[in-house]
Amino acid sequence: MASTANQRKAASGFRISRKALPYVLSLPALLVCIGILVPFLTAVVYSFQRYRLSQPWARQFNWGDNYINFMSDPGFWNTLKISLIYAGTTVTLELLLGLGIALLLQRRSTLNNFVSIMLLMPLMTAPALAALMWKLMTNPGFGILSYFAGLIGLQDFRWASSPDTALLTVVLVDIWVYTPFIMILLLAGLRSLPTQPFEAAALDGVPRTFVFFRITLPMLTPYILTATLFRLLDSIQQFDIIYAMTQGGPGDTLTVFQVEAYLNFFQSTNVGRSAALMVILWAITYFLSNVFIKHWLRLRERARGES
Amino acid sequence: METTSTFEKIFRGTALTLVVLFFMFPIFWIFLMSFQTNETILRIPPSVVFTPTFENYQALITGKLTSAAGTLDIAFMRNLGNSVFLSVASVAVALVLGVPAAYAFARHKFRGSEDIAFTLLSFRFAPPLLVLLPLTQYFQWLGLSDTYFGLIWVYQLICLPLILWIVRGYFEDISADVEYAYRIAGHSWFATFRKIALPLAGPGSPLPVCLPSSLPGTTLSSRWCLHRPTSSR
Amino acid sequence: MYEKEKDLIGAFLRGEVDRRGMLKGLGAMGITAGTAGTLFNMMSTNAHAADFDWKAHSGKSLKLLLNKHPYADAMIANLQTFKDLTGIEVTYDVFPEDVYFDKVTAALSSGSTEYDAFMTGAYMTWTYGPAGWITDLNEWIKDPAKTNPNYAWDDFLPGVKNSCAWNGTPGGVLGSEDAKQWCIPWGYEQNDLTYNRTMLDKIGGKVPGNLDELIETAGKASKDLGGPYGIGVRGSRSWATIHPGFLSGYANYGQKDLNVSADGKLSAAMNTAESRAFHAKWVQMIQESGPKDWSTYTWYQVGTDLGAGASAMMFDADILGYFMNGGTNKEAGNLAFASFAANPAATSATPNIWIWSLAMSNFSKDKDATWYFMQWASGAEHAIFGATKMDFVNPVRQSVWKDEIFRERLNKSYAGYVDMFDKSAPGASIKFTPQPLFFDVTTEWASTLQKMVAKEVPVDEGLDMLVQSIDTQLKEAGLG
Repeated sequence: MASTANQRKAASGFRISRKALPYVLSLPALLVCIGILVPFLTAVVYSFQRYRLSQPWARQFNWGDNYINFMSDPGFWNTLKISLIYAGTTVTLELLLGLGIALLLQRRSTLNNFVSIMLLMPLMTAPALAALMWKLMTNPGFGILSYFAGLIGLQDFRWASSPDTALLTVVLVDIWVYTPFIMILLLAGLRSLPTQPFEAAALDGVPRTFVFFRITLPMLTPYILTATLFRLLDSIQQFDIIYAMTQGGPGDTLTVFQVEAYLNFFQSTNVGRSAALMVILWAITYFLSNVFIKHWLRLRERARGES
Repeated sequence: METTSTFEKIFRGTALTLVVLFFMFPIFWIFLMSFQTNETILRIPPSVVFTPTFENYQALITGKLTSAAGTLDIAFMRNLGNSVFLSVASVAVALVLGVPAAYAFARHKFRGSEDIAFTLLSFRFAPPLLVLLPLTQYFQWLGLSDTYFGLIWVYQLICLPLILWIVRGYFEDISADVEYAYRIAGHSWFATFRKIALPLAGPGSPLPVCLPSSLPGTTLSSRWCLHRPTSSR
Repeated sequence: MYEKEKDLIGAFLRGEVDRRGMLKGLGAMGITAGTAGTLFNMMSTNAHAADFDWKAHSGKSLKLLLNKHPYADAMIANLQTFKDLTGIEVTYDVFPEDVYFDKVTAALSSGSTEYDAFMTGAYMTWTYGPAGWITDLNEWIKDPAKTNPNYAWDDFLPGVKNSCAWNGTPGGVLGSEDAKQWCIPWGYEQNDLTYNRTMLDKIGGKVPGNLDELIETAGKASKDLGGPYGIGVRGSRSWATIHPGFLSGYANYGQKDLNVSADGKLSAAMNTAESRAFHAKWVQMIQESGPKDWSTYTWYQVGTDLGAGASAMMFDADILGYFMNGGTNKEAGNLAFASFAANPAATSATPNIWIWSLAMSNFSKDKDATWYFMQWASGAEHAIFGATKMDFVNPVRQSVWKDEIFRERLNKSYAGYVDMFDKSAPGASIKFTPQPLFFDVTTEWASTLQKMVAKEVPVDEGLDMLVQSIDTQLKEAGLG
């Protein structure tokens, strides 16, 4: 380690102007990511083409036809509906569950710290792998969960293979994998909250539900928003769990956006339709993230203004 | 400190037990399965009584799996090595690129800062398949397909925005005053960043580091990037 | 392989050993008359056409894209023979089946020159061919300067060979005069009945001879065996659910997937009265005695259930039964095979087939050298090696099926297998209409079956919806 004096000298010899500094700092990250725009734009162009790999001679611009066709395509509306239901259900449940667990583990203790680290294990499991684990456990013959279901009277519970319970099953797997993500973010948030307001409230004998809704929750909101944003945008794009468990079946029960687009590209080699589906999904995520970021920034501004 | 009633203690204990049970049982069960042969796994109804065997692990490590269809060559160890290398390298690169950028966004309100930050974040939310399709072709032309460089670069699209946005939050939570004081003492920006900002934000860093650790198992990789052969010669 | 044996035959041909000495020597090496005959024919043609230059491409190198499969294993085990024969260096990548075809699509659609030849199924060539990714192999097969005189293209089973040839016109007849040979059959699967003898004996059921008997026996097995279910068939939301037992039975009733009109327009054909009746029976069979989580079943679950004694029968690929009848499977040795004609009025079975084939990439940098590999890998010598020493079943060459060692080996441990083959092979071919929307049609068909089995839609209504949707898609693609 060089002495501080030396460093000071070296630094003054190579000084970046204060104005340029933030640009210099963020430029590498931006450059690394910007390359993605080329394939992105290419995909947008594909979405305006009639483009099947198996009929190269028929490839041509059909402009909005792929999108217009969606309007009259019940398959598309089903996809949109399922994707939104899936994202809505998983995020709501994970948020409630994650918040609950974070509150349980809020107090710093050896046990709580140990449990919070242990709970990260599902998150470290690759989603496709998690789906396989659950597939093994829900097998009607040797699956342990089917056995348990039988014990409590659900003799014929068919998990992912019945259209009635398929959504429930994949949502369960999603919850298992991703609740820890929300839990750990909110736990970090809870533990970083200033202690004064809580101490004051305790001294005044304010009811705990009031404290929770009037102090804890508002102060935690930026964290909740961040967690919701990341989860919502991931969840609406879910692929691994659903594809590994049912390939979008049974019937069309689980043909969410990415599963449908994947099958369209790799099996039907219908590039145009696949790209159009993805562009719509992208538009949805872009819109959602915009809304969230606006809120998030406003909240941060306010929080900083207060402190 | 708040007082806790007996009822609350019992409630907390039960809730915590249920949570641990739900999240740990699948891992425990698969762990048990890993010491069983196909025959005992496929028993109906399932049972926890079995003679543990290490042959599955042996097969993974030696790369020879003896099954009904004969002996299979599996390159598990090499694949595992690949995965570990890719995860570590991707996260390392993302940290090197992302932490300074996060610092810039947190400390300096500059022209277009929010736009740039948001643009970076939006890459994270583009559906992977959308960019994947053309990317495959471009990679083929550039000779980047199935190279570590190409894969690590693609992974940045997932890692970087995540690290950027989470770390940015940590920097914003640390009061800038400490840094100003240090800088007024005549230290350079870089020294301040290294000596003050980084160590203060440090405790939050395990989160973004461990989050993308399951990276090579995500959509991108399992369906495309890690289409690395199980064996080749 | 068979180097010693070939030396001996060679010595005979050169007049160094007399005929009796040769046969005695071969006997000592454990070669039966059948194999000896094949080898002898091969060697004597060799002697006549010794001028075929196997070393013409010596020093070049090729790269293959392979699916993890016993066929690939058999080839790899024998690869050194090819390298020694030609002096061509061969490298390869092997991928597991669940990502294999994605990898092929990714490599070919980007025009990658990395791979020279790859494994494929015939259905896939209906996409690859029109897309311009693979080469019509007639140019090589028919050129005596490029194909060795022993290759015996006529030796291939005609139904199998023709199933790999298509003129590229949507709805065109497979194996027509103007057809392009998109791939060379390597090994293939017929879809027939594999059953557990012990279980069928236990319930006193006879081997079902048609679909009605199958439904009855399967129902009895589900009820009386106390545990195992009656009949295994695939059910996942994929083309793979349609092509095995389902389409084989469907075709046996004379039903087709698509109609081709006089002017070449395609339309869906699943709403005939016979088709409705067949669908209704099939759905009933699964509801009554299929696996509980049928809608997730791929060949893997269908096979392992039978091998583990969780099911009594399956209507799927014969070679799947072959593999389940060996190794460490619980029911190994208990399985038997029968040719299965679903329609009581049909005289014989008409199995749809899956053909693992070899195709040549259009982006290959050296097609002549690639053809050297392909003709060797699909040649009689490698087929005999694979069939008798490895699990290279089912062979696509008639000569191998005549081989006594091979037949004996099958008869000894695979009850009814040879008989099943002899009965089914004449009617075995691809029963689909070749056209570029193959995967759209079959995926939707499978999805409709799932809805019917789950009782989300009645059979009739489901078929009407399917037909309507497929017709729309065909029109949209300019085919209908």
